[in-house]
Amino acid sequence: MHEMSSAPSKSLKGIFARHEVVLLLVVALEVLIFSLLGRNFLGEANVSNIFRHSVEIGMLALVMTPVILTGGIDLSVGSMMGLCAVCFGILVKEAQFSPLLAALCSVAIGATGGGLNAFLIARLKLPPLIVTLGTFSLFRGLAEALTKGSKSYSGFSDSFLALGNSEVAGLPAQLWIFIAVALGVYLLVHHTTFGRSFRAIGYSPEGSRYAGLAVGRNISLAYILAGAVAGLAAVIFVARIGEARANAGIGYELLAITAVVLGGTSIFGGSGTVCGTLLGYLAVAVLNNGLKRIMDYELLDRKISDMASELSGLLTGLLLIVALAITPLLRILATRRSRSQH
Amino acid sequence: MKRSSFLCSLAVLCAVPFIGACKKTETGGAKDGKLTIAFLPKSKGNQYFVTCERGARAAAKELGAELLFDGPTNSDPAKQNEIVEGWISSGVDVIAAACENKEGLSTALRNAQKAGIKVVTYDADALPDARSFFVNQATEKGIGDALLDNAAKLIGEEGEFAIITANLTAANQNAWIKAIETRQAEKYPKLKLVDIKPCDDLKDKAQQETTNLLGAHPNLKAVISVCSPGVPGAAEAVKQAGKTGAVKVVGLGLPSENKAYVKEGVTQSVILWKVEDLGYLAIKAGAALADGSLKPGATEFDAGKLGKLKVEGDNILLGTPFAFTKENIDQFDF
Repeated sequence: MHEMSSAPSKSLKGIFARHEVVLLLVVALEVLIFSLLGRNFLGEANVSNIFRHSVEIGMLALVMTPVILTGGIDLSVGSMMGLCAVCFGILVKEAQFSPLLAALCSVAIGATGGGLNAFLIARLKLPPLIVTLGTFSLFRGLAEALTKGSKSYSGFSDSFLALGNSEVAGLPAQLWIFIAVALGVYLLVHHTTFGRSFRAIGYSPEGSRYAGLAVGRNISLAYILAGAVAGLAAVIFVARIGEARANAGIGYELLAITAVVLGGTSIFGGSGTVCGTLLGYLAVAVLNNGLKRIMDYELLDRKISDMASELSGLLTGLLLIVALAITPLLRILATRRSRSQH
Repeated sequence: MKRSSFLCSLAVLCAVPFIGACKKTETGGAKDGKLTIAFLPKSKGNQYFVTCERGARAAAKELGAELLFDGPTNSDPAKQNEIVEGWISSGVDVIAAACENKEGLSTALRNAQKAGIKVVTYDADALPDARSFFVNQATEKGIGDALLDNAAKLIGEEGEFAIITANLTAANQNAWIKAIETRQAEKYPKLKLVDIKPCDDLKDKAQQETTNLLGAHPNLKAVISVCSPGVPGAAEAVKQAGKTGAVKVVGLGLPSENKAYVKEGVTQSVILWKVEDLGYLAIKAGAALADGSLKPGATEFDAGKLGKLKVEGDNILLGTPFAFTKENIDQFDF
């Protein structure tokens, strides 16, 4: 669909043909509208909020990209956040682990859960949608069982909560972790043979196997990475909210998938870029935040900011559907036109 | 290339009617010396909080303050925190919050206080260091007394009664039951509590348990439910046993869930605070905190149309709960 040529096109038309450029314009348009209509939208505190409130989803979107590139999907990452958050809480508050050690354990638990997905998908050749639908329930269920549905862990040290609530070198502390993950995933997907194989596998798993690629191993890596980063996202989430509870990350898997698909990655695998995912994530994050700032305008006798949650759902959906429907729509229009010319 | 430019123009096209449909609020730009109060419900679609909001808007109008209202539309536990942090960065003066996650939201409310914002909680409290006052809709004693007083009045202060509770370990319910027992010992020596049955917060189970109670205690005069699903559950059992009116049903619940039984005369009274007044009081208290007329240590608070209310410690008390009966239940829609 939107194959990227490795050599950037010089012509203006060529530049606009790239999905990423269009997305960049969408983001710019959002920023323009919100800075005109919103209150304090470009204020330092709010720009921090945009990222503070969304890096967990952004991180899930980043690691969802390789998974979808291979033609798979991982619905379990949000539930994995719930499970890891609970485990982190238990380790710190009951087993008296230091937050750092507990965070490492959380990442390891995430990777193990991802490993379970990987085993079922790459080894037993079960469909990713079904497998991760199963672990989606399994991980959340485990988290709820561990806390009997209602117990939560709080009262973490200030130095740990700083990870979610403070600034380091002018940026939210957790944004630095996000940048590191983004760089890592970018280098993996676009600058290693390992990572480039994700697209080949998604494009043609059989072909890749005949070409001598370790298909199973590479697919496994994508799911294990997704699980591990979900574990990391859980720790950041707990540091931000100050409470570890089984309902952490509820619904985040769908927001992450939205960002990836909006970013131009084909849901069938084979094509897509990490930059596209980042822009897709940014488009959703800015939209979610910006609507909350429009406090001086009304729609149907209510402040827009009073309906921000409802409107951001509606507009994100609209944006995604428009972005996806456009290719087939134009194809139909083109065939009609060529037919009528004959 | 066509595809992309089309996408571009579509994005613009989508945005234009959206902007066109908006109209600037009468108050116009930010911070023209007006007090800005933000009101946070536990969840947005819930009729209970919609009713709270109505009271909050009335108070804001009275005060000439700007009211912001937003709350979670799904079960994401981070939503309340994100909304509060958004308000902090937009520079509101007061936040009135009902906490879904006590510890979690306290993190954000503490940040708000650090930023100089006055914080009150209502309906569900935060940790004490994360707010100045809690607007308490009903104390344990207030609820217990109201339930038993109503039941006692209905059965002539004499005879057997039973209690339906959520489950035997629920902290809230146990505190209310204790208040009922204390009240009974002090004031109604001829009343006798014969049984306490849990219904797991399920209407069906409450119905079953009440049916059993009616069989086991033929002299039972009243059933008091201290959990909201228990009220219609008990009423259904009494109705099916043909004991409408002979066994009185009293309980804590929403008027809307019980309207049919109350009108049929199965349930005699439903106890709850006036939810609209709760929203009104939360805004009034927040504004008073901001202008300095309400200070920590106060023992009384002048709440406009609600009159002078008692302050106990850092709790502002809404007052005695309200009894919804056949005569007045039609006036309420929550």
